[in-house]
Amino acid sequence: MKKMTVNFMVNGESVSVEVKPYETLLETLREQLHLTGAKEACGTGACGSCTVILNSIPVRSCLVLTPEVDGMEVTTIEGLKVDGKLHPLQETFMEKGAIQCGFCTSGMILTAKALLDRQKKPSKEQIIRTVSSNTCRCTGYKKIIEAVTAASRKTERE
Amino acid sequence: MENHKIVGKGVVRSDYLAKVTGEAQFTADIKLPGMLVGKVLRSPHAHARILNIDGSRALRVPGVKAVINGFDGFGIKWGVFRYTQDHAMVPTDKVRYVGEDVAAVAAVDEETALEALDLIHVEYEPLPAVFDPVAAMAPGAPQIHDGYPGNINVHVHIDVGDVEAAFREAYIVRKDTFKAAGEAYAMMEPYAVVAHYSNGFLDLWMPNAGPHVRAKALANLLKMPLNKVRVRHIYSGGAFGGRSEVSPGDFVTALLSIKSGRPVKLVLSREENAISTRQTHDMIAAIKTGVKRDGTVLAKEFEVIYDGGAYSSTGPIAASIPYYVYEEAYRFPNVKYDGYRVYTNKGIRGMYGCHGRAFLAGNEVQLDMIAQDLGIDPVDIRMKNGLTVGEKTATKSWITSGNLAEPIGKAAEKAGWREKRGKLPRNKGIGMGCVAMMTGFPMGFRSGSSCSVKLNDDGHVTVITGIVDNGQGNESMAVQIASEVLGVPLGDINLINADTEITNLDPGAYSQAATYVGGNAVKRACDDARRQILSIASEKLQEPVESLDLRDRMVVSLQDTGKKMPISWIAREAFFRAKPITGVGSYIPKIDFDREWVSKPFGQMAGTYSFGASVAEVEVDGETGKVTMPRFVTAHDCGKAINPMAVEGQMEGSVQQAGVATLTEENLWNEGFLLNPDLLEYKVPLACDMPEIETVIVESHDPEGPFGAKEGGLTVRMNAHSAVACAVSDAVGVPFSELPLTPDRVLTMLEREKEGGTK
Amino acid sequence: MILPGFAYARPKTVRTAIALHNGSQGQAVYLAGGTDLVPRLKYRLVNPTVVIDLKGIQTLTSIIPGRRFLKIGANVTLHDLKNHPAVRENYPALYQSLDATSCETLQMRGTIAGNVLQNTRCLFYNKPDEWRKAKGYCLKMGGPACNAVKGAKMCFANYAGDNAPALITLNAEVKLSGIDGERQMPLEAIFSGKSDLPYTIKPGEILTHILIPGGKTKGDYLKLRVRGSIDYPLVGAAVSLVNERGRVAVGAVGSKPLCFDFDASEAGWVDRIAREVSDAVRPVANTVLSPAYRKKMAGTLVKRIARKLAEENR
Repeated sequence: MKKMTVNFMVNGESVSVEVKPYETLLETLREQLHLTGAKEACGTGACGSCTVILNSIPVRSCLVLTPEVDGMEVTTIEGLKVDGKLHPLQETFMEKGAIQCGFCTSGMILTAKALLDRQKKPSKEQIIRTVSSNTCRCTGYKKIIEAVTAASRKTERE
Repeated sequence: MENHKIVGKGVVRSDYLAKVTGEAQFTADIKLPGMLVGKVLRSPHAHARILNIDGSRALRVPGVKAVINGFDGFGIKWGVFRYTQDHAMVPTDKVRYVGEDVAAVAAVDEETALEALDLIHVEYEPLPAVFDPVAAMAPGAPQIHDGYPGNINVHVHIDVGDVEAAFREAYIVRKDTFKAAGEAYAMMEPYAVVAHYSNGFLDLWMPNAGPHVRAKALANLLKMPLNKVRVRHIYSGGAFGGRSEVSPGDFVTALLSIKSGRPVKLVLSREENAISTRQTHDMIAAIKTGVKRDGTVLAKEFEVIYDGGAYSSTGPIAASIPYYVYEEAYRFPNVKYDGYRVYTNKGIRGMYGCHGRAFLAGNEVQLDMIAQDLGIDPVDIRMKNGLTVGEKTATKSWITSGNLAEPIGKAAEKAGWREKRGKLPRNKGIGMGCVAMMTGFPMGFRSGSSCSVKLNDDGHVTVITGIVDNGQGNESMAVQIASEVLGVPLGDINLINADTEITNLDPGAYSQAATYVGGNAVKRACDDARRQILSIASEKLQEPVESLDLRDRMVVSLQDTGKKMPISWIAREAFFRAKPITGVGSYIPKIDFDREWVSKPFGQMAGTYSFGASVAEVEVDGETGKVTMPRFVTAHDCGKAINPMAVEGQMEGSVQQAGVATLTEENLWNEGFLLNPDLLEYKVPLACDMPEIETVIVESHDPEGPFGAKEGGLTVRMNAHSAVACAVSDAVGVPFSELPLTPDRVLTMLEREKEGGTK
Repeated sequence: MILPGFAYARPKTVRTAIALHNGSQGQAVYLAGGTDLVPRLKYRLVNPTVVIDLKGIQTLTSIIPGRRFLKIGANVTLHDLKNHPAVRENYPALYQSLDATSCETLQMRGTIAGNVLQNTRCLFYNKPDEWRKAKGYCLKMGGPACNAVKGAKMCFANYAGDNAPALITLNAEVKLSGIDGERQMPLEAIFSGKSDLPYTIKPGEILTHILIPGGKTKGDYLKLRVRGSIDYPLVGAAVSLVNERGRVAVGAVGSKPLCFDFDASEAGWVDRIAREVSDAVRPVANTVLSPAYRKKMAGTLVKRIARKLAEENR
């Protein structure tokens, strides 16, 4: 199958990749761009571990074909640090103990980031609704919800 | 009484920074030069003789570098015990379940590997298969292994006192049978292995709960010396008991790398992970209990059938544990236990953090029914029969710290039990579950752990230990202990762990050994280094060792605050003396090593026991049977919380994985085919399904544990299902009979209640 | 899990998309949000030579309130549609069905036309190729018989869309564009009633718009599922009411949403419609939870909504 050239932004930098038309964004990020923070846990969109942000919308990157993102902006977990400073969600996930094995963490943080980007002070109900897009096997979600809540307060202050 | 600087504080775990930035490397993230992709051909039959395997056409596909099958091995079978060695990892005689590894290829990319897989030709002679353990035990059933009549893999028989006499004496005797479907571990990380064979040495990376145990099994299977099979450190995306034993994927990937001479990466899909790595046991538990008028349990008689799948794995352990965690909680003067682990043509099974829900929830709900008949509150009957320090379990293990009553009392108080139980409106319920967990566990000479610590010339510390972390925070625990003993900040400590060529034997994250055993060894090694530091410092500062302490990277005098010296100076002085500060420490729990699971199930089982009680509150929709859980309270005696935030995290995760799972989780089967190997139809609870969780940490200060610590929350994983099952039974007014309590099953309970229940 | 090989095209107009499809000898599929299609591709349930992405067609991305209809472009995401004031105010059944669809993240990616046109589902069908090959291909895969109902010569896969039932109760219509031009018809007419080939849509036809008759309705959607998010419905019951004329549609219990009309001015309509629904549905053991239970729940959920509407009407 003929390869395609796809141009898009990743974490603020423009990239140009040669991909098979049937390559998923998750594969391109992990295999070509060496951004392995997005994880494949189910491959069928059921769990959210591969979530990245595509033009401000959280997407399951295992369900997106790389040619679909031509001209778009992708944010991965590796792009959250700004000038060496962690994103408030990264800080609060650590402070609140919202992590155990860490396999779902990047998808969870990016799903939450997309929420905080579109809604400054989400209610607890809204946070639970958003976080319910992603599966975590270890934490029981309590500390994740606390971490998102704490990050929304932090971003509000900033 | 305690004066700890950092132990007992909810510090940010040492593994967190790598995990929030995406830098934590998991097995699938590894890239090595020349690395090939491995793919496995799996059995389409539940039971069939292998007549021939022909991989020659696959090998001719350009880009294919190796094709293997079981005949490339050495005919060695693995099993945890000598008498359970039945698993060749890749079979040459028969396939015994759908999805079993039959052959594999390594190729330059995944597409090529898949193309080649299609060209491997396997000739099978299909055999009759059996999927239900009761049917498998019946006369005339297909025999899955030679030499196991009735397909009985293991029979554990425990007999204490005189059960028959006790039942005759009892005021009430009840017998009930409970069933539960097996669960999936459903770790978020699908199984993956990287193997790199080079120059006679084999390096391996895979998510595992015990690198040393894994390396030994593989060295045996591959006929290699142990020091040439190196299992290396890697982040692990969850284990929950499912990654303790060697996996067919390890053997397959190793063979592919040996044959191709190149590194090979095998990453299983979610569905392959569910079908071909370990699953938990489906279970049927018949429970008979006799009590006195005052609620004292006189006798217990059990017959438990475990669906063991195609191979033994931890055989006798799996067929015993649900009983032991129950006898470790309650006083049973007379017991008869028969546990049968039965072969079926289903996937391989292992131990699970929540192992035994039919048995445990069954016992607890039966206790509630007995209490109701006697007019006793369920909390009181549990308190009355709970074990306490100084007592022995039925099979003669001393309880060396803690008791069941304290977590029961604390959980009940926080949950408002007395105001609720028996007073809630129709379709609302509250229930309690209790267990005690063995901590530090008999694994022969592998029961112990060793640690070494070196003080570098800048005063920073390197800790080397076999402790492994599957996400529960074991690495951070080791760092925190070292920081406490050596008086250096967490960030000054580098942990080198779970790498079999560097670290010494360790039991792994298995049976609650990491803190109690591994942490103990870390503490002892650090104590040793500390003694060496203080000895030099005592000389230099002209102060007796007893009046010196280590804090903030300094040796300080407790008498004269002006007297102090950086630890780094001591390090350098030690190098001048050609005696660098190097601490070593080891710990092996005080266990009766003559004890054997089948032949001698008596004696000290474990180093210590953690006690726990959980309380669930539920509401049942009377029309749909749908259960919601507004609140869950759980109390766990961890001995001492090294990091309370990590202990809470373990407890909360257990409420999800054992508690809410009791409403949602089950493996669904159709004639040996797993119907829900994906994360869509296997129902891992989501944030919106969770109750408000309140955790209570109980600290009984174990005399042996490091700083008094035992383990970080496993009682919740083993009693949350009981709490939920008891709560639903309370709400509906009749006892459950089958788990999970999906709405269809609960509606059936509601209908049963209408026909003559009690509430 | 890697995808099978195919080419990718992203036309800018409906006409080009249809032409591309027409040139593919029936080997093309349309892609919108991909939340239904991509897992199907990964499982090799569909093996196209070309995937035609419709998201580049700008004319399909808007919601236009009109005099007679609310006109919804095919590419409107479930999340955007849910948050449109007209939906919130006029179509409670649709609002609830959109809200109950999968999870928030997938609502943001999934489109309304893609959701409506999702394929039917079965525990024995939505599986990786190796699994289905080992089991023996079922009827829906071109095999000799059904695997869920052993030996049956018909397919029982469930139509598990949440929103089509709600739209049907609102008497929604669809606009289709194809090689022979445009046509408009009631939404329920696109369903064939056959689980293995669930749609009457012609090869290459694109569902371009969904049209909902204007005006306020009363109604609700209730969904039976094990978890509160992500799950497909095990029964999905929608009821809408305009004045006294009501419509029920029940999804996830067969090849298509089952429709029932009722008159809410008649005495005893609540129990009657619930009984009628429960009697009519015939679920089989092809998803989680028992079929007998799902049958009962179809009636129970409808009754719940009907009871609520009857109270509101009083």
